[in-house]
Amino acid sequence: MNTEPNLPIPISHIAGSYFIFSIDAVTYLRREHHICGVLSGTLPQIPQQNVFLGLPLELMAEEARLLVEKGVACIVDEVNVQTDGMKALMEADRQRYLQELQAQGTQVMQMQASRKEQQREEALKKIEEKKAANAAKKKASQPPPPQQPATDSTTRDDESVVGLFAGDQKQQQQQGSDQSSSRRPSTATASHAMGITPATSHSLLPLEPSAKHKLPLPNVPSSYPLFAHLHSEGYFLSPGLRFGCQYLAYPGDPLRFHSHFLVVSTGWHEELDLMEIIAGGRLGTGVKKGFLIGGADETASDHESREADVRTFSIEWAGM
Amino acid sequence: MADTDEAAIHMPSNDSSAHIDTDLSDETQDFRMLNHLTFLTDGSQGSLPKRGEKDFEPNPTLFQADILSASRQAMHNALAYPRLHHPRNQVIGIYAPDGPAPPPLAQPSKQMDTVLEDNDTQPQQTEDTTATAGDAEPAKVAGMEMGVPAESCVYVSNPKGQYFKTIGRADRWNRVWLLPEEALYLLERGSLDIRWPVSSTGCPGESETADSGIPMSLQAAYACFLGHGGLNMERFSVYTGLRRLGYTLVRAPGWYDDADEGDCSAEDAQVQSRGPGLAGVFGRFMQWLSDSPSCPAAGPLVGLGIHRSYGGPRLASQLMFSRLDDIYRKLSIIPWQDPTAPRSESRPTSPPFRVVFHVYKPSTPFRKSAPPAADFRVAVVNARETAVPTLAQMSALLDSTPLDPPKGPRMDRVLSLRLRQGYRSVILAVVDQGVVSYLRVADSAFGKEKLYKLQGPKPNQKRGPPRPRAKGR
Repeated sequence: MNTEPNLPIPISHIAGSYFIFSIDAVTYLRREHHICGVLSGTLPQIPQQNVFLGLPLELMAEEARLLVEKGVACIVDEVNVQTDGMKALMEADRQRYLQELQAQGTQVMQMQASRKEQQREEALKKIEEKKAANAAKKKASQPPPPQQPATDSTTRDDESVVGLFAGDQKQQQQQGSDQSSSRRPSTATASHAMGITPATSHSLLPLEPSAKHKLPLPNVPSSYPLFAHLHSEGYFLSPGLRFGCQYLAYPGDPLRFHSHFLVVSTGWHEELDLMEIIAGGRLGTGVKKGFLIGGADETASDHESREADVRTFSIEWAGM
Repeated sequence: MADTDEAAIHMPSNDSSAHIDTDLSDETQDFRMLNHLTFLTDGSQGSLPKRGEKDFEPNPTLFQADILSASRQAMHNALAYPRLHHPRNQVIGIYAPDGPAPPPLAQPSKQMDTVLEDNDTQPQQTEDTTATAGDAEPAKVAGMEMGVPAESCVYVSNPKGQYFKTIGRADRWNRVWLLPEEALYLLERGSLDIRWPVSSTGCPGESETADSGIPMSLQAAYACFLGHGGLNMERFSVYTGLRRLGYTLVRAPGWYDDADEGDCSAEDAQVQSRGPGLAGVFGRFMQWLSDSPSCPAAGPLVGLGIHRSYGGPRLASQLMFSRLDDIYRKLSIIPWQDPTAPRSESRPTSPPFRVVFHVYKPSTPFRKSAPPAADFRVAVVNARETAVPTLAQMSALLDSTPLDPPKGPRMDRVLSLRLRQGYRSVILAVVDQGVVSYLRVADSAFGKEKLYKLQGPKPNQKRGPPRPRAKGR
């Protein structure tokens, strides 16, 4: 998990959206740069739900821009990378890639087969134990009590009796494992390898995107200075649609913390409707968050000082 | 009323029923909860985890750091899980970047030639691209002939599994063609193995099959399918989000927004002349007054006889009601629109406020060849680029949906349900960078519900339906 991907991390620009497909990059950006994005893909292991989602990670344009400005990432025109990359693919590379996938697939297949075998053995063992325990119970209890619930304590008492059957059981186990060992190669040969859909094309295409596929800085909305300011203060920011604001600001990783602020960006000289402030304040207080408005001084010319000139205000509904 | 509102806001979570309407997908969940589910062992899906406990703010304790790193580790593991295809039930699709085309064997002369040509001219990319661009038009025609949507870009020769009941279109050669969103969804959930075609790769493989054998990665699939045939990330988020919940989605005619775009300006002008808010209503009222010469407001609103009937100390209630009806009828001077009345002119919808998906509940019997009337109609809106729709845009959108009046015994009984159901409805899916909110907009006919005709208040319906509680943390 603590692997560090090669920098700069390529951010795929596809049809106007920004994506990251590499799991290492996702964890790295979350851990080191407080960039969470929004997971937007289906988790293949539990595909029929919307609570836990998987790769790819969709980034806001603000997040992508921030990472590029920090020199951590670069924007890549993924559509052309893929089409050009496939056109330039050599036969040797293809063979190597397919062999790689084949090897991985076989490995997964073996893992699953052995796990299944293990489970089967465990299940068999349990059944045998139960049988033995039942038999022993019948033998041991001369005046048989009509119904004795098989609690843990009784089975533990019976363990010494079970010992009588241990040899028998071992034999059975031996048989079981013999069967499994004879079966395993046959299944492996019959069904070769798992097909794999890789998450990224990294091992197929060149890792370093060529210069002609790199794109300039992403266009960002006017709220970007506030975004960058809050991010530099250590907040984790995510899209705010669920609470009707621009961003949600979390004090720590959203995995473990609730958000503290509903963030709305305003222009430096923009006239605000008082109703908006009251509505935002009431909504924020109602969901136990502060309503935060802020903006950058546009009169400052260069980018550096503009970021420094961001001011923020937190509004709470006092309810007096 | 105001007091109860405030109470609801101030103690949202004290109520024991409050947790019922919390939606787990509303906020980032702790991925450690996933650890309790066993994936590799078997397909039996355990019940989804409960909401995890979160802390208020970070503190420098090691304890908190450990939990956080465990959460991140769990997330990493869950996301790193591969998409596997067991050989026994592996479904393979072939990417067709140029759209639907007959199989090479059916048209041996032409297809084989182009394939060979592609391989020969592989180093000169310019020639190659012009060739494919030239092919695009015939492909569209071929798609129409084959009974397959022209935007289809993946075909599956061995369609097996439950998904193909609701996804894809079959052609004459028993291949099922998938639209980009369908292909991407199936690949993403690990149910489809899409291969690059030989024509897209640089290596001349065995030319009998179009399959190069190279599986398409998730990254490549996004690159190839997003932006293809009108699919964008907002639409795809809605598509997968609802598919994951079990709904069936098909494209609606409004998906293709190249038509009717010229009419936007005319609509805007119309809105401007009417004006927003109260002023607009007043203007329409004045216009209506001048338009109708036989207006009751011109004469005395309340006749003398009615006045006298008020004065009567004990009247038969029946008579009283009919007299009151008269008063109210004369008082209803604000014009209202009857949604059941046929429209003289139907305004064209303007993107993005037009229906792009027809959605069917899992319980609705669905046949691909003859899809029934949709349960829901969804328009997809990008929250970052679109403002609140104008009245003209909204009513044009509603006019494009069929009349669906409230019916059923409960609807007949409860007024608020009728109003909420409305006569036409559409669902707006507002998407902000992968986060989707669904709003239902209905055309309620308040004018059709004459309150003065109701037989007095019913005692047990004072409270109305439970209002949604404020939620959040």
